[in-house]
Amino acid sequence: MFRFLIKRLVEIIPILIVVSILIFLFVHMIPGDPARLVAGPDATIEDVELVSKELGLDKPLVEQYITYMGNLLQGDLGTSLKTNRPVAEEIGARFMPTFWLTLWSMVWATIAGLIIGVISATKRNKWPDYLGMFGAVSGLSLPAFWLGLMLIQLFAVTLGWFPTGGLESWKSYVLPAFTLGTGVAAVIARFTRSALMDVLKEDYVRTARSKGLKERHVIWEHSLRNAMIPVVTMTGLQFGFLLGGSVVIETVFSWPGLGKLLIDSVAFRDYPVIQAEMLIFALEFIIINLIVDLLYGILNPQIRYE
Amino acid sequence: MKKSYGLLLSLVLLLIFALAACSSDSKEGADGEGKEQEQATKEGKDIVVAVASTLTSMDPHDTNDTLSGSVQRTIFEGLLGFDEEMNVVPMLAKEYSANDEATEFTFILNEGINFHDGTPFNAEAVKVNFDRLADPDSGLKRHSLYSLIEKTEVVSEYEVKFTLSEPFGAMINTFAHPAGLIHSPKALEEFGKDVATNPVGTGQFKFVEWKPGEGLEVTKNEDYRIEDQPKVDAITFKPVTENGSRIAMLQTGEADFIYPVPTEQADSIDGKNGIEVDSKPSIVVRYMTMNTLKEPYDDLKVRQALDLAVDKEAFIEVVTNGHASVLDSIIAPAVQYYSKQETTKPDIEKAKSLLKEAGLEDGFKAKIWGANNSSAMKAMQFLQQQFAQINVEVEVVPMEAGTLSDKIWSVQDPKEAEIEMYYGGWSPSTGDADWGIRPLLGGAENFPPKSYNVSYYDNPEVNGLIADALETADSDKRAEAYEKVQSVLWNDLPWISLSAENTISGKKNYLTGIYLLPDGSLDVRNLEIKQ
Repeated sequence: MFRFLIKRLVEIIPILIVVSILIFLFVHMIPGDPARLVAGPDATIEDVELVSKELGLDKPLVEQYITYMGNLLQGDLGTSLKTNRPVAEEIGARFMPTFWLTLWSMVWATIAGLIIGVISATKRNKWPDYLGMFGAVSGLSLPAFWLGLMLIQLFAVTLGWFPTGGLESWKSYVLPAFTLGTGVAAVIARFTRSALMDVLKEDYVRTARSKGLKERHVIWEHSLRNAMIPVVTMTGLQFGFLLGGSVVIETVFSWPGLGKLLIDSVAFRDYPVIQAEMLIFALEFIIINLIVDLLYGILNPQIRYE
Repeated sequence: MKKSYGLLLSLVLLLIFALAACSSDSKEGADGEGKEQEQATKEGKDIVVAVASTLTSMDPHDTNDTLSGSVQRTIFEGLLGFDEEMNVVPMLAKEYSANDEATEFTFILNEGINFHDGTPFNAEAVKVNFDRLADPDSGLKRHSLYSLIEKTEVVSEYEVKFTLSEPFGAMINTFAHPAGLIHSPKALEEFGKDVATNPVGTGQFKFVEWKPGEGLEVTKNEDYRIEDQPKVDAITFKPVTENGSRIAMLQTGEADFIYPVPTEQADSIDGKNGIEVDSKPSIVVRYMTMNTLKEPYDDLKVRQALDLAVDKEAFIEVVTNGHASVLDSIIAPAVQYYSKQETTKPDIEKAKSLLKEAGLEDGFKAKIWGANNSSAMKAMQFLQQQFAQINVEVEVVPMEAGTLSDKIWSVQDPKEAEIEMYYGGWSPSTGDADWGIRPLLGGAENFPPKSYNVSYYDNPEVNGLIADALETADSDKRAEAYEKVQSVLWNDLPWISLSAENTISGKKNYLTGIYLLPDGSLDVRNLEIKQ
């Protein structure tokens, strides 16, 4: 397993290089001249040229890429075109708020999703199943944007229990984490339900039951463990998506995180920030995938790493 | 049977959710309508201002967004500034004068003022700042505003003289522009480019902290030169992009002042939860340009026909919910040297006959470009509907900001410009007619990619009048020239003038002395909490 880990970690390097080239090209293909956007709506052509020169945007693309990669290899992510601050600083300040928000969303979504999924599977076609699946379908179909604004209206404005947005205390996490996790909880619930239902049909479950094991043990210890493999894969993917995809939620809740930064940066064509963020999202995906693979082994020791 | 239970349960749940959502609205409505406006209360003297986007820089010389400029004005002051009506008023300078040719400007400075770091404010400090701005190698975004300054001389400790390389009658307003705010020379030397995150000025408030994405805090300058000012302890500016969230913050009291308030929500929150909405005329104008180099827009009759087809009053109701006024010149009334023109009533029959005279009795097809935000889309769709009345079939082409700017500014040869109709807006940040007219309609030298003349309008008479107005610092002569320019442009119709927008802000009713200037920037100099 150790060898597997090292091998996978080494594999990350070429992937990141290819990804960085793609990101660089894609970002530069977005229409719009950053110099003009940075220079502002009433800038003159002289201003725009000055800004372009200052930012090195007047140089050929290849030269810009070489400079970018050279700096990247030295750990320098560049300087934000919009704020003139180091990109590492911009991202550093926003990474943890997004990370914690995503983590808390995942924690409640996983627990709720699993419980709902298990109950639905074991009470198939009974009212708890209908209730659970109704909740899951609602969770999937309610737009997060609308749900967020609704929760703000109800729990912040009318009841005054939680702040409307920003990051001040633990209370600030409640509404955005709930909103962000709703869709994930729904997906996990549905996946758990179907995976568990499949497993419950297996022979070894029947054997376990016929041996007189309590239903609780059959479900939670024998069946769920095996049903977890597809659920873990999907949960891992969701986690990756959430880290990069909390854009809407962060906007609604004025969350000082990476999603909001990405929106601002794209609107501003802030190339260095967009590039760095995308690279980080790619890295996150790779790492989460690795963790998911390792989890397989823990869940089912029969899976061997090569 | 079981299935129907499930279905029933689902319906009940849906109903509960919908009721929960509605109840919050209806309760709020009842609060506002039934009784007198309640007086909101405030604990402490720390104010929170929620704004619509993130701040970019605290270096006024290197900033071009009004929002960052607003925050900077709490920390910095300039030689001159603007009052509530956008009139130029002295700030760090107590007097100023200019020669007749508008090439030399002399300022007498106030004495005994210190920067927040203890550095004395004097002519030398002014020179350091404007030398920085005028330096072409500075890479500063606001260099172009001051690029005409050839030299800045320290006449005495409290007198400073600027010499321009060519006459520029609008220079006084340029000195009052937020880009002309003055840094502590010590901070400039110590921090270099990092002065953008370490601002030191002479203003009412001192910089405390700026957390990217979270907000910026300033605290009271205890040594401010005017006694009893400021009257609040601290102000925090928080970026809250989403309109609904900004309004919710004002409702809960997490924010004391918010701007902008979207036009469609302005009336519904006014007078409820101790909220007052302030809607005031701004200098932002909205218009639709026509490419005057292209057929059929090169024909005045066609432009007149299009103009007559648009009901501007209806435009304001539909697009801005009434929070704007009909534009009666190409610049807004609060802009210096504005001159009112006669507006025409929409007249479809006359418009049709003008089109017939132009040989286009069957109408024509056109494309209108504009931004892809909801208000621009609404505006373009409104115009589409209006033009349809005279058989002009318009295709609305909304574009994302970057794409739009590429389309407009990548044009090298004016004849090849694709642009036909364009819905846009402009706010002359210096508050002077020059910046409201020259970049947009000031002849071939302002065609894209150089500047913003997207009408490709080039009229020697207008160009001559603009030049006349710039060659003098004499206010009367400038006013006369701009009056003529506005009249010529009004009748020649390179664009259809639509509206002068309002700035809309919301505040708790215990706040006084906080308002938006017509250029959309915030003034907190007289901010007070009254309970």
